[in-house]
Amino acid sequence: MTSDNNNQQLDQLVHDARGPLNRISMNAELIKLVLENDMPKEKAIEALNKIISNCQQCSGALQKIVDSQ
Amino acid sequence: MLNILLVDDDLEFSDVVCHIVEFLGHNINTATSLKEAHQWFENNTFDHVLLDFMLPDGSGLHLLDHLKMIGQSPKITLISGHPSVKGILAEMCEPNVGHLLKPLQREDLELVLNGPKKVAKKAKASGITRHFGSLIGESEPMQHLYTMIERVAKTNANVMLMGESGAGKEVVAQAIHNASQYEGPLIASNCGALSKELIGSELFGHEKGAFTGAIARKEGVFEQADNGTLFLDEVTEMPIDMQPNLLRVLETKKVTRVGGNREISTNCRVISATNRTLSDLAHNNVIREDIYFRLAVFPIDIPPLRDRKEDIPLLAKAFLDQLNDENGTSFSWTSHQLKELQSYEWPGNVRELRHAIHRAFIMSDPQTSDITLPANLESPFSRVNTQVDDKQVSAGQTIEEVEKELIHATLDKVQGNKTLAAQMLGISTKTLYNRLNAYGGIGEYK
Repeated sequence: MTSDNNNQQLDQLVHDARGPLNRISMNAELIKLVLENDMPKEKAIEALNKIISNCQQCSGALQKIVDSQ
Repeated sequence: MLNILLVDDDLEFSDVVCHIVEFLGHNINTATSLKEAHQWFENNTFDHVLLDFMLPDGSGLHLLDHLKMIGQSPKITLISGHPSVKGILAEMCEPNVGHLLKPLQREDLELVLNGPKKVAKKAKASGITRHFGSLIGESEPMQHLYTMIERVAKTNANVMLMGESGAGKEVVAQAIHNASQYEGPLIASNCGALSKELIGSELFGHEKGAFTGAIARKEGVFEQADNGTLFLDEVTEMPIDMQPNLLRVLETKKVTRVGGNREISTNCRVISATNRTLSDLAHNNVIREDIYFRLAVFPIDIPPLRDRKEDIPLLAKAFLDQLNDENGTSFSWTSHQLKELQSYEWPGNVRELRHAIHRAFIMSDPQTSDITLPANLESPFSRVNTQVDDKQVSAGQTIEEVEKELIHATLDKVQGNKTLAAQMLGISTKTLYNRLNAYGGIGEYK
């Protein structure tokens, strides 16, 4: 039972870490679109800022996984 | 343009996906929970739903049940971070439901939204299996060949490949090499292309100054193929007096460079190839018996293309895909054209097929996707071959009959010009007239 609980907790933590990764990936795709199509660079900068903040979030989520072990 | 609903509780993610999907030319709305999604469906219909698996008020799968209940059946792509969801979906056997794995990429979205247009082509290309990384074909003779390759690849036995010209002997050699445990390279050498003087140097190498022109030391192919595979093409065209040297290397696994005095060990599998038949080998004294048994520890027959016609569509598609990839075109075959290719005998085998496809590819209009096959698939060589077959001499004919046939064939060739025919035959015009008279008059050659 305890091991099941641990697994569930780990699943949740991994899910939380995937969230920012997913946002990073999509924001990177958006930057590609902006560059390939000469769209306003503000959009790209906004997306880059989001990537940077999501990297911090992802790092925090990974630390939580380490702490939970 | 599609009407899309994105159901995901990650607002930032939804925001970026909206930008991308709108850029791809579709309409998109968002919901952050099952409840909001239900509300959207009350007064709207959607072509496609991008659905997160884990939502705050339940699993994305609940929306599937709800849609069934209200009788709507949009295409659904579940988005999840867990690969196991794919397994759950496979069990559900829902044809309308697909799956994407986080983190997403733009290509993934394009693929599920724009349909399998571009992707289908890629899938087709990769749908053709290249056995052992090089061989194409699923016919019975090829399956037999694959079994033989698999068995021999595990051993270190020498292999002799027999097959008609163009049947793919070098490709089979590559397949055996790929399937083997040998870590060294595959080195190929054509024994038919080397002069008698150079063959020793090519096979065994030479030392500096061994003969005029040997300005540097050279490794032979046996040395180059150490720990690998040596492919000796047209081995039966090697001068017979050079064959004892080869036999020594095959027996001792040691080579001595021309002009050298040191023996060098070499450990390689020798795959040899010939387009002569077994009876040809036996009767025409082209290969010494002892060499044959050394080289053909494991003989393999490669089937001619006419014996595996069911593979022609596969080969044709693979060759065309390759040309499309190299040239950025998108030609494709019609089923009628594939049947036409299948109905031809291909005396030049896969090489001839490949050549014909390349020719058709060059002739076709790159603005369209239709490839234009020539009206006549025959190559000059296939015509020569048939002619030779038609006029072959057979035992039991008299010399007079053969002579008559030869004279008539020559006259046919030069449209009845007797001076020219006599020159070609190496006789005087007078003799030619005499012969024709003896056969019953000049007749049609007047």
